[in-house]
Amino acid sequence: MKLTKKQTMLLLIAILGIIATFWAYQHPLGQGTLAQVKRVQSVSHQAETDQYQNKDTQFEQRLTLRILNGSHQGRTYQVLNDYDASQLVNQRYYHNQRVYVQFSHQGKATILTAKRDWVLILALTLTALILVAILAQKSWLILLSVLANCLLFFVTLRLDIWRNGTATILLYSGAAIVFATVTFIIYQGWRRKMAIMLLSTISALLLAFGLSYGIMQATKERGITYMAVAYATQSPRSLFLGQTLLGVLGAVMDESTDIVTSLSELWQHNPQLTRRQLWHSGLTIGREIMGPLINVLFLIFMAAALPMTILFLRDNNSISYTFEFTLSLGVLQSLISAIGIVLTVPLATLASFLLRPMTKEVQV
Amino acid sequence: MSTMTALLLVLLALIVLVGGTAGLKSYLSILINFCLIFMAAWLIAGGANIWLIAAIFVPLKLATIVYLGTNEQKLADQAFLSSLLVTVIIVLLIFALTWLGQAVGLGNQDDEDLIGLATAPGIDYLLITALVAIFSTLGAISEAAVAMNAGLLELLRQTPTITPAAYQHSAQQMGQDILGTAINTILFGFFGSNLALFIWYLRLNYSLTQLLNDKLFVQEVLVLLESIIGVLLIVPLTTWLIGWRKNYEAKRRNNKTTRQNNKATRSQQPTVTSKQPPDTPHQEP
Repeated sequence: MKLTKKQTMLLLIAILGIIATFWAYQHPLGQGTLAQVKRVQSVSHQAETDQYQNKDTQFEQRLTLRILNGSHQGRTYQVLNDYDASQLVNQRYYHNQRVYVQFSHQGKATILTAKRDWVLILALTLTALILVAILAQKSWLILLSVLANCLLFFVTLRLDIWRNGTATILLYSGAAIVFATVTFIIYQGWRRKMAIMLLSTISALLLAFGLSYGIMQATKERGITYMAVAYATQSPRSLFLGQTLLGVLGAVMDESTDIVTSLSELWQHNPQLTRRQLWHSGLTIGREIMGPLINVLFLIFMAAALPMTILFLRDNNSISYTFEFTLSLGVLQSLISAIGIVLTVPLATLASFLLRPMTKEVQV
Repeated sequence: MSTMTALLLVLLALIVLVGGTAGLKSYLSILINFCLIFMAAWLIAGGANIWLIAAIFVPLKLATIVYLGTNEQKLADQAFLSSLLVTVIIVLLIFALTWLGQAVGLGNQDDEDLIGLATAPGIDYLLITALVAIFSTLGAISEAAVAMNAGLLELLRQTPTITPAAYQHSAQQMGQDILGTAINTILFGFFGSNLALFIWYLRLNYSLTQLLNDKLFVQEVLVLLESIIGVLLIVPLTTWLIGWRKNYEAKRRNNKTTRQNNKATRSQQPTVTSKQPPDTPHQEP
């Protein structure tokens, strides 16, 4: 049986992925002492009710762990684990599950965390398989762009930490320009169309952010609860501005690509189009995509806050208080992103006017 | 005036200026979507069954995005159908990966925010973790579904007599363009959503082992990959659905004109009826 190039590739990814997943399930990746849960005994369980009248059940389980590597390899330890049925901050362990452990000076073992890295490898394998199966030869472009962007993201974060959250706007606007340039070069190659998409992306991003920042200043940032920024290790305001600038960039690039590509094709098919007609076509295309695009970001930003929102409401906090401390920043981020997505429509259309000379040359 | 009110008003003005009625509909879809999210959170906090909430709110959210985001009935119907089908597949995948990952609830990075809150709320956070992942992917899936369906329907309108091979080829081409940009949108949404968390990891010098097994990191990366898979699956599924529908319509037309009484096709009659009148040509201003 002769395999095509694509089938060989798929087979290779599947085999490597499965081996890597199994290996990662059994062995530690990097430092750390790994153990296997050999036996699970349930010790006790009791109903609990807290001051908010929430009813939960607390369980205690006795785990027998066998150490798989390091100086304690082969030895077994007994560990007690308490968890609630809701598993909000603690979790239940299962037979055969792999966990990382650490030892105290008295030689007692405690569980640090469940081993989860193998699931990431499994999910990555699955994604790669589907990507290659559907996109064939173009999948490496996507892979390249994702990798390049992740690397740039890492560099941006390092710079942010180095500046300790100062000069945020400058830093992240600069980063956005680099992100956009690299991505467009990878996808479009170095040509006029790419420069037009880049122009549209950067102008829309900066205009939208400038406008939003102006509004924030004019309203003296009233009602923005920076205190609610989660995981803040530096000025929460700088984190908010940075994540707003980066979050919308992909959507603006997406939209610019769509509008510029469609208009350039339209113009090639029918070179007599006037600017007025082109302007209308650009707006028609844009208004079809902007609604769903705004919702993409909106759902990503909102869903992340859902666990906390539910918890706040569960503990009898008022709706306005819950909104302020869990959802309001996501809403603000979505609104600024939406302004960017809307402004991209006219700006990408305007930028497309620059397409003309090139198209004419092709026509001649 | 608070900043949020000002931004809401400016967005409304801009979206109507650029998009007219379509813009107003998009604005409405965002407001409705917000209400749906909040209502889901409120109902779950009140003790509603999470499975039931998912079963009700997922189709509602998809319908809001698709029907208020497009301006053509046939396109909206098709896009809703393909996004719903892909969502069903993705929900199964999310449950499997969430279960295997055992990355449930909140991480230890949340400890500070949990002060004064109950840590045994009596709600199953495994299901909530899965629900968060499902909600995150919905937007990207429906956006890709609208783009792919719009492209394919337009293709069939321009060249109604397209051969199956040419159809497959064009669909493949179209899918590639849509996927490249859609994956970017998701990736940067992910960056924008997790910036603070990643700075936390870097500042606190997480080791590779700590990072790859961290609850929140695993949750977020899984959501990213699940969204990408969802968007990828839209392409073949939509190509197949539209192609199948085209064949079905052609067969029907054939049957009518030749008056053949073909029992075989009758008995295979699918549930999707296509009684819509032939489409009006695409409006070009």
